[in-house]
Amino acid sequence: MSTVIIGKILGWIGFITLLHSTYSTYEHLSYLKAVEKVPNDMPIEIIVECLFSVIIFAVSVILVAGPLKPILMKNEMVKKSIDKVDTRPSFNTFNHRGRIIKSSLG
Amino acid sequence: MMVSFDYKSAVTTLHELRKSGERKSDLVVTLGENLIHQGYAGKLGDEVWAVYEQIFIAALDLGNDQLAIKCLENLDKRFPESPRVKILKGMKLEAEDKLDAALALYEDILKDDDANIAAIKRRIAVFKAKGQDQQAIEALTRYLDAFYSDSESWLELSALYLNFHLYQQAGFCLEELILLQPQNHFYHLKYAEILYTSDNITMSLKEFCRVVELCEDNVRALCGIKLCTSRLLNLPISAITSSSSSTNSPFDMKTISDLNALAVERLSTIYSKKRRGGSSANEITDWLNNLS
Repeated sequence: MSTVIIGKILGWIGFITLLHSTYSTYEHLSYLKAVEKVPNDMPIEIIVECLFSVIIFAVSVILVAGPLKPILMKNEMVKKSIDKVDTRPSFNTFNHRGRIIKSSLG
Repeated sequence: MMVSFDYKSAVTTLHELRKSGERKSDLVVTLGENLIHQGYAGKLGDEVWAVYEQIFIAALDLGNDQLAIKCLENLDKRFPESPRVKILKGMKLEAEDKLDAALALYEDILKDDDANIAAIKRRIAVFKAKGQDQQAIEALTRYLDAFYSDSESWLELSALYLNFHLYQQAGFCLEELILLQPQNHFYHLKYAEILYTSDNITMSLKEFCRVVELCEDNVRALCGIKLCTSRLLNLPISAITSSSSSTNSPFDMKTISDLNALAVERLSTIYSKKRRGGSSANEITDWLNNLS
């Protein structure tokens, strides 16, 4: 359980880091517009912060996801009984004695 | 008397039964009656129509015509003039033994829309109910020519052929099924048993081995392996080598006796555990020893 909690905390840290980097980008772009320079170069800190948040996110998702479940068809089929496989519900006929026996019981 | 009817678990159970297609009409009617009479039908949202259909069919199975009529009325009110509801009406006619009327109704639906799969299948079911298996097989074959990926229909066709002991044709149907779902060990199992019945022992042994490969410790397949290997070990050696060289099979005497020993060992282990067989475990081991 503790890895899940660490993962969730990391997820929040990554989210806040991402928010911070987007806000910094917006601020920087409006500063450039105000100073009327061409918005070509982004300060390296914002790029680093953005990539840093992606890495934190990746780590947190792996921690939160939990153990992998088996997907082999074999594992599913072993649990099935033949009643579920050898059934042809579209072709069921009703001319069997169940109709008479069951209705006379109830 | 119901203490507290857990309608959520009832709805889940009904959903599971709809998915798997099992024929547990008793259970469906019990759950469904409680759902309807205790007024939970309103809480189901859009799922309620599928549930009504399911309860309708189960009620027909049990001869509970009142419940069936109630479900049919609700469906008819909501979906008037719907072909799907028409099919259900046809099923009711079938249940009341008015097979010709039902057949006429299905053919009427097919006149308007000749690719209505449900109507085609019900028509085949009516032929079965009338005992006209020949016509059922013909109609089913025509349907499968067009819709060859329908597993349910291939299973039905193989069952019809088996009624006539036409093992080659039944085997062909199972081969188509294996092509459609190669990892489904039940199809291999049925195929292996059809092959064994039609005396094709080497192929049958291969298929039984395939079943054990797909589903570990499958008792039916292990018994099949034991039977096949015993037959093969008791045949004269020339018969085996000639058949195996012609069909390119990888079986030689050593492999066959190894398989025999393996089957005996696995069966003994399974039946020696307390959970299986209990007192009959001794009889199983006796049979295993005697058959070799």
